[in-house]
Parts: sequence; C-alpha cells; structure tokens
Amino acid sequence: MGKPLILVSSITYAMKGRDLLSKQGISAYLERVPHIEALGGCGYGLNVPRHTDEAEELLQQAGIRVLGRIDKEGPQ
Amino acid sequence: MIYLDNAATTYPKPAQVYRSVQSAMRKFGANPGRSGHKMSIDAAGEIFRCRSALASLVGAPGEECVIFTANCTEASNIVLKGLLKPGDHVVVSCMEHNAVMRPLQVLINKGVTCTQAQVYPGDNDATVNAFRNALNANTRLIVCMHASNVWGVRMPVERIAALGREYGIPMMVDAAQSAGVLPIDLKDSGIDYLTLAGHKSLYGPMGTGALITAKGDGLDTLIEGGTGTNSVSFDQPPSMPDRFESGTPNMPGIAGLRAGIEFVKAKKPEIIFRHESNLILYLYDNLSRINGVKLYMPRPDPRYFAPLLSFNIEGKSSETVGQMLDHNGIAVRSGLHCAPAAHKVCGTLETGAVRVCPSAFTRKEEIDQLIFTIRKIIRK
Repeated sequence: MGKPLILVSSITYAMKGRDLLSKQGISAYLERVPHIEALGGCGYGLNVPRHTDEAEELLQQAGIRVLGRIDKEGPQ
Repeated sequence: MIYLDNAATTYPKPAQVYRSVQSAMRKFGANPGRSGHKMSIDAAGEIFRCRSALASLVGAPGEECVIFTANCTEASNIVLKGLLKPGDHVVVSCMEHNAVMRPLQVLINKGVTCTQAQVYPGDNDATVNAFRNALNANTRLIVCMHASNVWGVRMPVERIAALGREYGIPMMVDAAQSAGVLPIDLKDSGIDYLTLAGHKSLYGPMGTGALITAKGDGLDTLIEGGTGTNSVSFDQPPSMPDRFESGTPNMPGIAGLRAGIEFVKAKKPEIIFRHESNLILYLYDNLSRINGVKLYMPRPDPRYFAPLLSFNIEGKSSETVGQMLDHNGIAVRSGLHCAPAAHKVCGTLETGAVRVCPSAFTRKEEIDQLIFTIRKIIRK
C-alpha cells in the first residue's frame, strides 16, 4: 500500500491545509504531485499517513477544496 | 543625506530586510513550489509566510486572498481591468493617483464612465455624501485611496465601503500610502479589494505589492501563464492566488517584504504613525510661521491626515526648491507626484509642490535641518 495523498488545488492551499491540520494534531507533509488526471496536470498534495479521513473532512470544513485522494507509491 | 522621500519609497530599510533578501537568494534560490525538491518547497514556504503576515496585518480571511504583484499599480490594474466593462460606471475620489486614473482612462476610451467625487478634508460626512451623490444605476465599482499621496488627506474608506454595501457596489481601496501606518481591516470594513505597495510603509524592497481580496474569482485575469498547477490545460486555473500569479514570483523581494511587515508589526503601526505625525505637526507649525512658505491644507490633525506634507515657496518652482534641498543633502519629492488630480484640487497643477514624508527612522533633528534649509533658501 502506498502513502495516502490528499490532492488540493494550489501550493498555498496545501500549506494552509498543512498548518491547519498541524494545529489539530494531525501530521501532514506537503508533496509536489506530478501529472495526475484529478489535478489536470501537476499540482500539490498532502501526505497524511494517519487520520486521513478526518484530515480530509477538516480541510473541507475550512473551505479548502479537496480534488481527490490517491495512494502514492513510495516510502511513507 | 537626510531622506524625506518616504512616500515614494522608504529608505533606509530595517536591517532585517536587507538580510532577508540576501538570505533568500542564498537559501531559497530555487523556483518556489514549481519543483518538488526541498529547496523549491522551502522557497514556497517563505512566500507562504509572507502571505500569512500580510493577511493577518490587514485582516484578510486567508492566505489565498493575498495576490503578490510587482507594485500597487499592477494590483490596481488587475481590479479595474478585471472588473469593469463598457457601459459600467465607476466612482473615484478627486485625488486619485495615476495608478488608478491611467488604467481608468484606457477603460473610459472603451466605454466605461467615471465620476470624481469631491473630497472635503476634515469633513468626512461631506466626503461620504459626495460619493453617495456620484453613484448611479450603472455604478459597478467605487475606488478610493486610503490617504492622498500629495496632501495626506485620510479618506473615510470604511464609511464609503459601507455606502457601497448599502447599494451592492464593491469597493477598491488604494492603500499604497497607508498600509503599515493606518489601520485597515478587511473583515470589519467590508472593503472588497485592497491594493498596496510593499516598498513604502511596509518597508519591503521595490518590486513588491499586493492585491488582497476574497473576490478574485470575479475578476478577469490581466496576464496568464504557468502557475505550476493544472499544467495539462491551456486554461488559466481558477484557484486563488495562482489565477493572478503566473510566472516565477519575486521571491527575494517577497522575503524582504515579510521582514518589513514583521518590523512594522514589532514596532506597532500606531506607534510609527504617532511618531511620523508628530514630526509632520512640528514641521507644519514651523513652516506656517515662515513668510514665503505656502501651505495648502489646515493643520494636519492626525484623525484626518496621514503623515506627509506638501508645500511651496513663493517665487520658486517646486522643482527648484527640490533641487536646492538636494544640494543641501535633503531628499524630497517635487512636482506632481503622479497625481495631477490631487494637484488640480489645490490649484497646483502648474507649479507642483514639494512633498516631505518621514519614516519610522526619521529624527526631529532632521526636520530641524529641513526647516533651517528652507529658511536659507527663502533668504537667497
């Protein structure tokens, strides 16, 4: 299984989301995501290894549009 | 040199601004966020921190509302050209800078109409009424500077924004001359578009500015291009702030701007404002006692004036006075200050005026030297 990556629309939202999750005690790691259909090309995602569903909900509640979620291959 | 041209650009900058610019070029030399490697993400992080600092300074709802531009002029162009269409009407104050009036003139040539509302220094009720009377059924936007870059007049922008809300008309405030010295809060004021310069009273480097808005999705873009997102599509991505930030940003400038904002926050804008206002009142009181000095505004009560002062010396052009001060080691700005509309109000369109603007670093002794030199010039 790969690492869960929550896709967002810009690096600004990714950083805003990362800080927001951190304040809620959820670790999130920003990653540049190369060409993915959900993003219409390259973009940004948050690797949230734990509490991923909760994190996605928190992001959406804060007005951060989640474009999708993928399991990215590679080390956690 | 005694530098009193801070309304054009503050100088010197706080030491941390110089350090941040240099450090950014060394530490964050990669293209911000465009690549996935550490230095690229770190560079984007520095830009994000500046967005946060600016958003919190002006009470913006979030970092995504901060669009970095090259200067306040670019930010104003984005709003005016992104919103107004032929047939639309816009109301502006009678003192606007050419950063507003020139793009507006282009739009007027294409069928936009414009009314200039009279400003009554010290009488906010009259100014708000003038804006109210200038509105019509086609008014699509109200534009008002926060403070005149020539006369220092503070505009009642919160009250004008409230007027706009009453009629469902958005408002743009040009805070080029005020961000960092006058309080502004987007949440409380209801201002829709705030444009500002980074290199003035925010003490950032030149080449920095911002448009701050939660309503960017309602604006057409001025330029389009690479944003590092949605790269497959030729369509400009709708996401803020990417929609308005095509191309590689001025990363070292933005890092310096963050250091400038932190300087202002640490010093406290109200303390800087009081310091500069006291210097201007001191200058005004002295100049008003010198025969041959022409002042155009009443004593600048800080409730109604931002800390800058323009004057003339009878029998000498403003440019001549500026040159004479320069020869005596004092830097001021003479002429029209890119604001012919404001000069027209006071009848100085032909002569211009000599503008003095202190900064957080200006000392009373420097104002004394200016007064001494003005007396000397008059005696010549």
